[in-house]
Amino acid sequence: MARSTLFRVLRPLSPRAKFTIGILAFVLPVGVWSLVSYVPAVWHPQIMITDAGSVSYLDAGSHMARDAFESEVADARQEGRAPPKGVRANPIYLPSPGEVLKAFYTSFTTPPETKDGQWLHQSLWHSIRIIFWGYVISSLIGVPLGVLCGAYAALGRVNEPFIEFFRYLPAPAFGALMVAILGIYDGPKIAIIVIGTFFQQVLIIANTTRKVDPALLEAALTLGTRNRQLLTRVVVPAVLPDLYRDQRILLGWAWTYLIVAELIGTTSGITWFITQQARYQHFPNVYAAIAMIGIIGLGTDMLLAVLGRRLFPWDRSLAKFA
Amino acid sequence: MARRAALSLVVAFLMVHGASSAQAASSQLRLGYSDWPGWVAWQIAIDKGWLREAGLDVKFDWFDYSASMEAFAAGKIDGDCLTNGDALVMGAGGARNVMIMITDYSNGNDMIVARPGIKSLKDLKGKKIGIETGLVDHLLLLDGLKKQGMTQDDVTLVNSKTNETPQVLASGQVDAIGAWQPNSGLAMKALPGAHPVYTSAQAPGLIYDVLTVNPATIAAHRADYIKLIKVWDHVVSYINDPKTQDDAVLIMSARVGLTPEKYQLLLAGTHLISVAEGKKIFVRADGLGSLYGSTQNADDFNVHNAVYKQPQKIDGYIEPSLTAAQP
Repeated sequence: MARSTLFRVLRPLSPRAKFTIGILAFVLPVGVWSLVSYVPAVWHPQIMITDAGSVSYLDAGSHMARDAFESEVADARQEGRAPPKGVRANPIYLPSPGEVLKAFYTSFTTPPETKDGQWLHQSLWHSIRIIFWGYVISSLIGVPLGVLCGAYAALGRVNEPFIEFFRYLPAPAFGALMVAILGIYDGPKIAIIVIGTFFQQVLIIANTTRKVDPALLEAALTLGTRNRQLLTRVVVPAVLPDLYRDQRILLGWAWTYLIVAELIGTTSGITWFITQQARYQHFPNVYAAIAMIGIIGLGTDMLLAVLGRRLFPWDRSLAKFA
Repeated sequence: MARRAALSLVVAFLMVHGASSAQAASSQLRLGYSDWPGWVAWQIAIDKGWLREAGLDVKFDWFDYSASMEAFAAGKIDGDCLTNGDALVMGAGGARNVMIMITDYSNGNDMIVARPGIKSLKDLKGKKIGIETGLVDHLLLLDGLKKQGMTQDDVTLVNSKTNETPQVLASGQVDAIGAWQPNSGLAMKALPGAHPVYTSAQAPGLIYDVLTVNPATIAAHRADYIKLIKVWDHVVSYINDPKTQDDAVLIMSARVGLTPEKYQLLLAGTHLISVAEGKKIFVRADGLGSLYGSTQNADDFNVHNAVYKQPQKIDGYIEPSLTAAQP
């Protein structure tokens, strides 16, 4: 049954297959990760010392390469000293799923230790607010401008070459300038998200607007629609479901700028947590924070997909692949 | 925004009426600090409320080190915690600043860490060293080499980001690295048997850590800065007093997310400078025992390594009067 129903070009899946395969999309990578973490034979290139024995420079808990460890053990045996003991381990850069899961939990339950500190959920909320405002400001200007550029060739020609040029400039390079203009708190961070999102947004929205079905335009013109009405009554409603989908993709785009944005000015939000934990090599916490961002991103996107189906029930492409 | 403004009005109102002297601060002082033990120490004054007790309206903002320099250069903060060499770098770039107090010098936290088998700096002749060129540990390396009668030409430098030096050393592609804590400690952990061959404890005063401020703020805030330096003296004695040290380390370790035991190690490599000691370092002299001599040395290094082109006028960067005004 598998091949005949699962692998057919552009054919939607049955709801059950869709659900199962969706789960598999997460189970497979986590499975590989578990295998690498829990089965020593797979990788485990290092030894974690449990007992330093007679070797003066070793401490319990430190990691060393396996061959170096074995030569130390051999030396110690030959000279009749106590050999060091240890267990096979992965480098600290790759914690196991269990450690990350535990870090995920404890990082939320650990109270802030300084008086002016924040709980992790407060930091996360701060980051979400930065994203929200960056995205809203970018969309308020970017979406109308994109639609106009798509609808009127002259406007598109005036704006797009410059935007096309500007979108290649790395947003973080504007960090110092934004600090000079907007201060050291949330202003420059939001600005970096806007810079990172806006230019792509205008181009993508303009392109989508151009894809409006010409048959609709002709029909409307035949029925005597005038220029402005053509835009507001025909073009915009026609491309609205596609614009909505573009906006979902662009929201993900905004998230990718978060870490660089939050390093500008005072360190804040989830980035404070990630950079500080990485600086002291607490990698389970770092991976847990990455997972949090992923969960928030995916969660919002799924929510928007459901909302999209409600808003645009006539759009079949949404129903099929969302 | 409006709420913050209202709040600061209330605070200012309380200040004017709460402070014993009539000439309380008319506006808030904003200072930057970042992750270095000598600056994390300010957290004690913040958490204990000593700044407010002293009648000060000072706001400390936490930055990534280089982001704090950007914020100062943009005029968004009045002062920043930097090394004396970086104060010159910032000034050469146009952000005028004067060092008004010394917080500490590195006393072992900065290290040249060599792989097992290399016993001393001398053994590094012809070898590769991973270091972030132009930064403080490059200066430390040159100082160490000079004492061995060697120069930079005797070794090969591999430009590496300081926070990546642990991996760089563990990769086996270099024979030594230069880094400050926690990176230097992590490098030794990542490659067992790796050990320091030269540290800042052997060159005290090579790098001073300071509070440097916008010279334009000194006229209006002279009294505030003098009070602030007094609070610093309290902080230093709180950290150095064995009775209160545990509490001090707890506050500092919490700020950066480490355990107190681990933080104790970082603190041990930092020599905090009290006001009495600071006064002596502010006396003009050649050599690393004086801020003048140390800063001159950093200036020569910066020019030689083309960090900037024009040698800086050292006197314009040092303002000893505020530390000297302490009882």
